[in-house]
Amino acid sequence: MSHRLLANLAVACVFAPLLPGLAMMTKPLLMPEIWQALWTDNQWPQALLATLNSTLISVLGALALCLLLLCGLWPGVRWQRYTAQLPLLLALPHVAFASGFLLLFADNGWLARLCGVSFHLDEFGVGLGILLAFKESWFLLWIASTQLHHTALSQQLTVAQSLGYGPLQSRIRVIVPQLLPRLKWALLAVAAYSLSVVDVAMILGPANPPTLAVLAWQWLNDADPQRVAMGMLTSLLMLVMLIVFIVVGYGLWMFIRHALGQFSGRRHQSGIQPLASGAGFMMSATGMAAIAMLVVWSFADGWFYPSLFPDGLAFSGWQTAELSSLTTTLLIALASSLLGFLVVILWLEGGNSRFDMWLVLPLFLPALPLVAGQYRMLLVLDQDGHWPGVIWSHLLWVVPYMLLVARPAWQQFDRRLLITAQTFGWSRWKILCRVKLPILVRPLLAAFAVGFSVSVAQYLPTLYAGAGRFSTVTTQAVALSSGGDPQQQAIQALLQMLLPAMMFIATLQVSRLVSHYRQGLR
Amino acid sequence: MLNVQNCSISNASRSLINELNFTVSPGEVLTLMGPSGAGKSTFLNWMIGALSAEFRVSGELWLNQKRRDTLPTERRNMGILFQDALLFAHLNVGQNLAMAIPEAIKDRKLRQHCVEEALANAQLANFARRDPATLSGGERARISVLRALLAKPEALLLDEPFSRLDQTLREQFRQFVWQQVEQMDIPVVLVTHDPQDIPVGGKIITINSSPS
Repeated sequence: MSHRLLANLAVACVFAPLLPGLAMMTKPLLMPEIWQALWTDNQWPQALLATLNSTLISVLGALALCLLLLCGLWPGVRWQRYTAQLPLLLALPHVAFASGFLLLFADNGWLARLCGVSFHLDEFGVGLGILLAFKESWFLLWIASTQLHHTALSQQLTVAQSLGYGPLQSRIRVIVPQLLPRLKWALLAVAAYSLSVVDVAMILGPANPPTLAVLAWQWLNDADPQRVAMGMLTSLLMLVMLIVFIVVGYGLWMFIRHALGQFSGRRHQSGIQPLASGAGFMMSATGMAAIAMLVVWSFADGWFYPSLFPDGLAFSGWQTAELSSLTTTLLIALASSLLGFLVVILWLEGGNSRFDMWLVLPLFLPALPLVAGQYRMLLVLDQDGHWPGVIWSHLLWVVPYMLLVARPAWQQFDRRLLITAQTFGWSRWKILCRVKLPILVRPLLAAFAVGFSVSVAQYLPTLYAGAGRFSTVTTQAVALSSGGDPQQQAIQALLQMLLPAMMFIATLQVSRLVSHYRQGLR
Repeated sequence: MLNVQNCSISNASRSLINELNFTVSPGEVLTLMGPSGAGKSTFLNWMIGALSAEFRVSGELWLNQKRRDTLPTERRNMGILFQDALLFAHLNVGQNLAMAIPEAIKDRKLRQHCVEEALANAQLANFARRDPATLSGGERARISVLRALLAKPEALLLDEPFSRLDQTLREQFRQFVWQQVEQMDIPVVLVTHDPQDIPVGGKIITINSSPS
């Protein structure tokens, strides 16, 4: 059973070292003085408040926006038109979006220049929550659009309307309760992400005290061992908060489900299409405007408050830009996505698919405790601050995403083709290389591109496992956000956006080429 | 009385329905026959108000002296049965039926009673708390009929509702539908390509889409 052994080995290399690292993290749980220190810490309560605020606004806001658009536009031309632009909005990395968002809405941002509107983005984590709500609502809409393809659902809608229920009411009664259970994993991922996000919170979140994740992150980097222990404990408490979130969410869902199953018979004829169209337009416009801000700032030649447009345009910003971060990012992302690709192939070929859910678990957990656990292990192995350590730390997120993208195509592979190849007397590996991989080239290329973009966007693992010695476009964009050089920040954020975009375009071109010569592979 | 006047439907590539005219009296079943792809289901979608935007339509739909084709689905007061039973998967059988009961019946007990009575009439007593997914195909189909009729529609549209059932169930289910419809005394339009679906003494119109 060499293929099974190989698969387990490959996966073990990515995941196994994490476990002793996490075990080491639990030490402060048994130290009363650390609990005591947390309890008396004067930053903790406000940091907790900011985290709760931003997480709740993010999750509930994203869900509300998603359902608003869904109830207003689905199914119809407007819905299709909106979902068609989702890939672009999804491909916009969090850090790049946050950078553009800041240039747009901050006290000296473009809206303040245009019409005097600005938001105190950093107070109580509200701005952070709103940004995440926008960004994650696109993610939820995308998941929803993949779930709503069934004609049965649109026919159910017709049935509900033929029973006299109006556009909004029929969708709330029929589509929403059937969609919500299918969104549960996506919602969990959004909650875990929002709880423990550090990079975006450093750009847009409150500063003093920051959110819980940033606070824990600062403590973990402290020289004082007690501070480090407090950081560990706080990041473990995030897991507890996630569990509380799941329990509360489940309770709410039970309540909603019960309420939506009761029919008093009252019919409402109202619809919310104009509202949904407006909200959808506003969301996309914000996304596009954020990108536009980055582009204009990157070419701006002197742009001082309160002028609406830069004094001139020039390449000088790009000429002086720190481009070594680009090389570092490219190398790490290529290495981790290639390695991740290998691991995913080995796992799909030889692994037990019952454990797939365990492999994608990192996507549904707060990243901070995982990163801290990785770091503990790297310290023990004396590998912190070296290339292999950084690349390995990225794999924990690269592999799950690649697995999620590649798995459906792999499972739908026509088994009769394999049996045919077996009758030639070919070995398993020969069949894999000569039949399976070539036929699955398109979904595998897509998985590769996704893995690459996941690696580019990593902030915590890069800084932590890299011991601060590796600067990528993502870490640069975050670091520059507090430095008062919007132009350089915009350039790094643009690079963060362009790198994955270029990889997507490249793989798409290869896919096109392949399907040009072999039309059956479309 | 249901009345279709000069209905024509076409999409970008061809014309599906050409100048269709008919009248269906209460208690009468009109059958629209034709090969698949002839536009039968498209026509029913127009009647119920769920036609997708790619089609161009002209013509009028009148029901009991009121024009309906300009109203949204929810205000046409017409019921529809599709090929699949399309029970709402998140609701139990009783809730599926309760959803259909008109607004005029306000009292909770009375609404509950309506559900029980409908189920008992269809030899499905004690099914109210069942999950639709656990029912047989025949049971699901019968409940979808009950649901459509509980809403007290002024007309009923049937889009090949018998075709998903196997041969023996199909005959039983036809009997069930005609029996239920007879009690309601409303116009019924049936779309099918199976001549056996046509009820005894029913009117028939054959649709052949003509290339434009």
